[in-house]
Formats: sequence, C-alpha cells, structure tokens
Amino acid sequence: MTAAIDAGRDDDLSATFAALADPTRRAIVARLTAGEATVNELAEPFAMTQQAVSRHVKVLERAGLVSRARAAQSRPCRLEPARLDVAADWIARHRRLWAERYDRMDAHLATLRGGSSRTDLPPAGSAGDRPTDPQEQA
Amino acid sequence: MTTGELTYRRVHQASPELLFDVLTQPEHLTHFWGPTGTTTPVANITVDLRPGGAFETVMVNEEDGNEYTMRAVYVEVVRPKRLVWTEADLEGGMTTVITFRDLGDGHTEVVTHQTNVPEAYRSPEAQAGFLTSLDRCDAYVASLAAA
Repeated sequence: MTAAIDAGRDDDLSATFAALADPTRRAIVARLTAGEATVNELAEPFAMTQQAVSRHVKVLERAGLVSRARAAQSRPCRLEPARLDVAADWIARHRRLWAERYDRMDAHLATLRGGSSRTDLPPAGSAGDRPTDPQEQA
Repeated sequence: MTTGELTYRRVHQASPELLFDVLTQPEHLTHFWGPTGTTTPVANITVDLRPGGAFETVMVNEEDGNEYTMRAVYVEVVRPKRLVWTEADLEGGMTTVITFRDLGDGHTEVVTHQTNVPEAYRSPEAQAGFLTSLDRCDAYVASLAAA
C-alpha cells in the first residue's frame, strides 16, 4: 500500500535530498562508502581547505547521512546508510506507483483493442506481481 | 516539506489521443488508477478537464475499505501532448507532468515527471545536481544491497 505518507520521514527526506544536491558532498558520501575517514583524509582529493570540507561534513551530519565519533580526537566520519535508504525508498515508492498504474492501463488498452465489450473488467491485478521497479531488478 | 523527483518513461501501444483520453476520462481511469490493492469506482472520480479544474479520486482499499483521497487541480490541458496537475496536499505540494510523444508506428512514449522540489532547488545547477544525486543514491543503495 503506497498511499499512506509519513510526514516525519518527509521532513528528513527534505534534508537528505538537499544535502545530496551538491557534487562535493556526494563525493564525500562516495568516499565514506569505502570506510571511515577523518576530515583531513576527506579533504585530500579536493582542492579546498579542510575548513570548507568540514562545512560540507556538517551539512551531511545535519541531514543524518554522516555521523562522527565523539571519543577519538580525530573524530572520524562514518556514513549512516539508513538515511540513504529512506531517500531511495521515496523514489522507489513513486516509481512503483506509476509502473503498476501503467501496467494496469496497458491491460485496459488491450481489452479496448480486442474490441471486447468487457469494459466492466476489474483493474488487472496480475501486473503488480511483476518486478516493475528497476531498483528491485538491480 | 519533501524534496523528491522522478522521471518515468514508458512506451505504450496506443495513439497519443487515446492515451490522453484514458488518463482523463473517469470511465477509463476507474480501470487502472488506484495503487495496487485499491479500486477507484467511476463515481469516485471527478474530472473537470481545463486549467484550474478539479481532478479528484477517492481510492478504496480492497482489504479494509479505507479510502484515500487525491485532490489535484489541472494546470495544463493540451490534448494530446501534455497534461499537468498539482496536488497541494501531498508532501508539501506535488506536481505531475505527463507528456505524450507520438512514435509514428502506433506507439506513444509517455514521460511522467513528478516533483515536489521547492523553488530554492530549481535553478538549472541545482536541478542537475539533484537529478545526479538521485541516480547516485539509487546506485549506492543497490550496491549496498548487493554487498
């Protein structure tokens, strides 16, 4: 069931998508998929100051995409993949809705083409069983 | 307020005119509109097909009878090329743009673009970054799932 929307998750999503709409921050996220890194290490591949990278990390932290260890002095950054899952889920949810809707529309069009008078057919239910979501096929 | 965006492309075996009609006429919409697991009786569908006109559906959950209402307003109605509506209530305001491209062999490409990206993120640069971020996000989550 895709109609129910969770308002709290929507607020989180806003921060997540906004944080990811920046190439440097996406690069930082990509780097962190390989494991923890300090701000120093994160700054290495970029032609920018450690301070600038630190600001990007703070945006990612606020968006819940990155956490930082409290104990160690270097405070290494770590990816929090749960939030990315929520963002991907938004896309998957809406994509699935349209994929299944158009599956059913195609079935309806097929009955129209067939010249069938069975215009009172219920919506085709079988279409939803197919893996129509590209993310699920990946 | 959510920011999310998706583009969904698909080719259908029908003319643009027929596709436009089945997406805008209650007697057609009733056959396929509601999410899987729901029905949308024709009496539950309101279509006032003009810019500013209402597009409303009440979808009924087949299991528990719960109802989900979609309240939209048409923004553009250009048969058979383009259909746009907005849902003010949904996730901070959702816009759906459906374009129909005649492929000339009895098939039509339908592109569905759905977005509720706030104004602040709508510059070309932000859009480019945003769309790329979604692709990356998809790829990344897929790689996590594969690991």
